[in-house]
Amino acid sequence: MTAPETVLPQGPPPPVPRRPPPPAGGRVARWGGASLVVLVVAWSVAGTDIGLGSLLEGRQAGLRMLRSFLTPDLSGEFLAVVASAAVETVQISVSALLLCVLLGLPLAALIAGNVRAPRPVAATARVVAAGLRGIPELLWALLFVATVGPGPAAGVYAIALHGAGLLAKLCSEQLEAVDPAPVEALRLTGASRSATALLATVPQARSGIASLVLYQWECNIRAATIVGLVSAGGIGQDLVISLKLFRYSEAGTLVLAIVAIILAVDFFSRLVRRRLGAAS
Amino acid sequence: MDFPARGIRAVDGVDLEVRAGEQVVLLGRSGAGKTTLLRALLGGVPAATGSVRIGGRNPWGSPAEVRALRRSTGVIRQGNDLVLGVSARLNALMGTASQWRLRDWVTALRGRVPAAYAERLAALADHHGIADALDARVHELSGGQRQRVALCRALLPGPTLLLADEPTSGLDPAAAQTVVAALRATEGVTLVVATHDLGVARAFPRTVALREGAVVYDGPDFDARIAERVYGVPA
Repeated sequence: MTAPETVLPQGPPPPVPRRPPPPAGGRVARWGGASLVVLVVAWSVAGTDIGLGSLLEGRQAGLRMLRSFLTPDLSGEFLAVVASAAVETVQISVSALLLCVLLGLPLAALIAGNVRAPRPVAATARVVAAGLRGIPELLWALLFVATVGPGPAAGVYAIALHGAGLLAKLCSEQLEAVDPAPVEALRLTGASRSATALLATVPQARSGIASLVLYQWECNIRAATIVGLVSAGGIGQDLVISLKLFRYSEAGTLVLAIVAIILAVDFFSRLVRRRLGAAS
Repeated sequence: MDFPARGIRAVDGVDLEVRAGEQVVLLGRSGAGKTTLLRALLGGVPAATGSVRIGGRNPWGSPAEVRALRRSTGVIRQGNDLVLGVSARLNALMGTASQWRLRDWVTALRGRVPAAYAERLAALADHHGIADALDARVHELSGGQRQRVALCRALLPGPTLLLADEPTSGLDPAAAQTVVAALRATEGVTLVVATHDLGVARAFPRTVALREGAVVYDGPDFDARIAERVYGVPA
């Protein structure tokens, strides 16, 4: 059999079909939609009282705070307090990461479609993960402060639960993105679902998951600085006290410390993630 | 047997018997029905009419029958289906994972070979020339080495049937030759190799040529005249 010859079309090129005019009803709907968006935005802006007026009104207090921030309290006594709070913040973020991983990764494995967990189990895991990440850390922190009492433990639980939900979703996507050929090859040997997941699916997603875990640590350190606003430990708790007592120089020191901690963790995490071959 | 794959009659009226220990090549162009036939042997494609029996077992039988069949069947697929990022040794061991106990899991994940498989893996790796490559990560291996690791993975559980789907696909001629030689050297195992490559077919004692889902040749001494029947062009 020989390959068929390619026959080129003869004569003038066919006319390019003209785009049909949009229907009149569609134009009305488009304008109606745009007007609705404008109305919703305008209503939201009016309801929140934002604008130059409110900014000008608070300029004196803002300037006073800024001036104090620029002269941070660098006394040895206060720096010891800041250091202790910073250490606690890092401890909260690391402990929360441990719980995130212990709870989030098994959930991710159950959710991932290619791991083929029994359907009711996968559906339950998906709902649990969505529920965990659907509630923000601050709300979790309020709930835990009310149950286990104020302090870093409440912050750890709050950050861990929200982070586990996030990690479950992101890691399940990593697991689902692996090359299916090795997974199928192992399944064909009669290996069980869990053996296939452990030997073929997880190793392929390992570096991606490690990168996500490090990214979660970055998120945890940010969250650990704010859960203190509701008495759930960390440097945020000292920041609230300083702000409530109008000690803006102390607040300035604490804000500087927060920025330093976040930058240090971001730098370290990016360094490791780059070594793992993940995009920073 | 007839196998309608996605509404297409991919394999039509194939009547094929392979004796235990025989080495057979399924030869044909892309779309001739080779892969469909192999998938049918694993119970992956249901037959519209007819039946498949492997050592008396039905690949569409009870889950226990299918599981037993899969455990006695080794598979090498086209392209690379090894797990990247782990060692060649662990990949070679994976074919036996369905039989591992907790102790074997711990040993394998620590990068060692469970005692039950140590001797056989060493012999297989030596026989197929990859003894020195077992410590390497898969991405560090050449295409030919990868396929031989896949062959060891398929042979380690001691299968009675070995199915190879385009095992030389994407390999250079020298690497393809080493893989063909390794397949030829699998004694005592029934071997069915699907390929579009005439050179591979010539290395085996029996060729079953498929064209548009039907068998157009079945026998030894595959020559240019028969190749013309398969490919529609002189070989």
